[in-house]
Amino acid sequence: MPDIEPFSPRGMFHEGWTAEVNDYAIACGWALKGKQFIVGDVSGGLFSFEGDTGKIIWKKENTHSGGLLAMAIHPEGEIFATSGQDGNVQICNCHEGKLIKTLNLGKGWVEHLKWSNNGLFLAIASSKKVYVFNEIGEEKWISEDHPSTVSAITWSNKNELATACYGRVTFFDIVNNKTNQKLEWQGSLVSMELSPDGDIVACGSQDNSVHFWRRSSGMDAEMTGYPGKPSHLSFDDSGKLLATSGSERITVWSFIGNGPEGTMPGELCHHTEPISSLAFSNKGMLVASGSRDGSVVASFLKNDGNGDPVGAAFAGDLVGAISWRPDDCALAAVNAKGVVNVWKFKVRTNLFSKGFK
Amino acid sequence: MSIQDKVPVTILTGFLGSGKTTLLNRILSEEHGKRIAVIENEYGEVGIDQGLVINADEEVFEMSNGCICCTVRGDLIRVLGNLMKRRDKFDYVLVETTGLADPGPVAQTFFMDEEISSEFTLDGIVTLVDAAHIDQQLGRSDESSEQVAFADVLVLNKTDLVSDDALNTLESRLRDMNRMTRIIRAENAKVPIETVLNLSAFDLDQILKRRPTFLEPEYPFEWTGVYDLDAGKYELMLEEGPDPEMSLVALANQGESEEELKDGAESSVRLYAEKANSLDPGNTVPYGEHINLKLEDKGNKSFILNIEKPTKIGLFTQHTAEEFNMKVIKSDENKEISFNTERFWQAEHEHDDEVGSIAIERFGDVDPEKLNTWMGRLLSEKGVDIFRTKGFISYSGNPRRIVFQGVHMLFTAQPDKEWGNEPRRNQLVFIGRNLNEKEMQEGFDKCLI
Repeated sequence: MPDIEPFSPRGMFHEGWTAEVNDYAIACGWALKGKQFIVGDVSGGLFSFEGDTGKIIWKKENTHSGGLLAMAIHPEGEIFATSGQDGNVQICNCHEGKLIKTLNLGKGWVEHLKWSNNGLFLAIASSKKVYVFNEIGEEKWISEDHPSTVSAITWSNKNELATACYGRVTFFDIVNNKTNQKLEWQGSLVSMELSPDGDIVACGSQDNSVHFWRRSSGMDAEMTGYPGKPSHLSFDDSGKLLATSGSERITVWSFIGNGPEGTMPGELCHHTEPISSLAFSNKGMLVASGSRDGSVVASFLKNDGNGDPVGAAFAGDLVGAISWRPDDCALAAVNAKGVVNVWKFKVRTNLFSKGFK
Repeated sequence: MSIQDKVPVTILTGFLGSGKTTLLNRILSEEHGKRIAVIENEYGEVGIDQGLVINADEEVFEMSNGCICCTVRGDLIRVLGNLMKRRDKFDYVLVETTGLADPGPVAQTFFMDEEISSEFTLDGIVTLVDAAHIDQQLGRSDESSEQVAFADVLVLNKTDLVSDDALNTLESRLRDMNRMTRIIRAENAKVPIETVLNLSAFDLDQILKRRPTFLEPEYPFEWTGVYDLDAGKYELMLEEGPDPEMSLVALANQGESEEELKDGAESSVRLYAEKANSLDPGNTVPYGEHINLKLEDKGNKSFILNIEKPTKIGLFTQHTAEEFNMKVIKSDENKEISFNTERFWQAEHEHDDEVGSIAIERFGDVDPEKLNTWMGRLLSEKGVDIFRTKGFISYSGNPRRIVFQGVHMLFTAQPDKEWGNEPRRNQLVFIGRNLNEKEMQEGFDKCLI
């Protein structure tokens, strides 16, 4: 990135802390209600920092031989799970990083991990199968083979898991071992997000489109014209806006009224290279985006999906992951060089009615 | 990111038993200073203790639009997507496919997926064929002929199990199917590493710098005999044959290895391109010249070969020696000297494979608009059957040569070097299934100005 000079945080990003991990940072998240920040790097290093200061609390190396692929922090923030190319899932304690249990799922890569919202279940995708374990690592359910490698998983409610693969999205009732719904569409689905109420299913597809389904009405729609495959999707907490990106541009679809079908989406053009991570704040209509060019921008959106940047910073290199602190008062970005940046995020309360301090 | 920064990827295809794993292990164990990441198919069994070997199920993903050129390999996108994050660990990628893999989606993955194409560049497609079994395989499965059709390099493996005659016939069959490919013979997958890696086969600029043509030569002669001769006078005797004349090139210092024979053949191809000088019986055959032996007379005809010091003479003849019962006789002893080595080249051949190559070579300029329309239509109608396309074009009014290539319907064209004083010409090579040569040539001719 020779042309881009680092610049001081401005707007609503205020100085926080920085730290480093050993390798390309691919996953991060807040634990213990924001008191701790955990980062995983591609070679299997795990690092835990004090949320306020960045002081290292513990670190572990080579947790997964062949490399780390995913990390998911339990909603209560006391434990977390990691997975890797070794076919293993490890459940660890956040306080000391102590290993609680190792689950071996065979020799395939374990690429996706998701805790259910109430934290009772951990869903795990490895090759064509999806597994559900409970918090203490007991197996609760295994899917049949999917038609192809599972590309995304997410919980639609406390007992229902959605899986995406080539050609379809499937909803499983994992308690009663039942398939609730199959949404079929010929295309390679590379990403999936559900609206918070679980009704809207959005998938990014390899053919540079986003496909929606509304489970209640059975209606579906295809949004085409993306310059690249929309690998990054994020719903706001109310389910009104869906931010999507497959290029340097972020396209925001508004589900207010009859939309988004037949409406013009909002467009955010703040980055010079494709988006590499995208996340709405936990509450409210703020979306943070990180790019391959190392820039991180937070934008405040209106109901139509358009909006303005309220802060920007330079993370130094390709942004591997970003994460809002649970209270949305800090934003973290980890990059391809293993640098961790945490900015305090301040919003003037009189501007917004709720959600931010 | 420029092409130099991108990680080169070689695709290794070939039927089960063709020797892919042997070649892979050979590449990995050789000292070449490269750190190679290997993506193996699920049945792969790389035996080397190597850091980065990743197994992947072959997952071919078609798109909802049904467009064959959008079909990609999902497993490669996932695995390469992860490898991108570990670029400090390797500098080369080898992808081994199963024998049943269609190389099209593999190649297309490197052009269709932005994330992949921004980090990786397809270096070349190497196909191994089992010399003993490929003849049957070609008849039985589409996959094997597609793998031949897509290849930048064909390794004709297990040559020790097949006679030279059969190899020559096989080679010309394969050459017919894919006239752009380089054919390398090997025993036990033993090939020089530089013949399969770092080919830059998709970087036309580079290729044309190394070789001025995409086409491997079609030989205008059918036979070569190498004779080890002492100094002295010899007669070249021919009986009546199928033709009243026969073209010939005689080369001194002709080696007998396959490589030396090919070098000789290449020189001869160039000499054959020159106008032949007629030679009546009783005259001396000159070396390194295209001559035309006059054979109208009945009975034996003899020509003189003068050898000043011991050497090996290569005779590159339009027809086989057998057809004219051609002999070399040492004059003073009246003793027949038989050849040390013979090599058959198939010049004219019936085309019985569905998969074949079509080459169009024309001097002059083309009208860019007409060519676009023609190519556009050709690829939209026949894109499924056209596996690969390469060529260069002279656009009227454009000082630079335009080079282009395609995989199925995916097609790129870019300006290359300036023509300068070189005569303006065009060369197009299509490799595909059931292509109509005459129709395509006529179509192209209409684009000429």
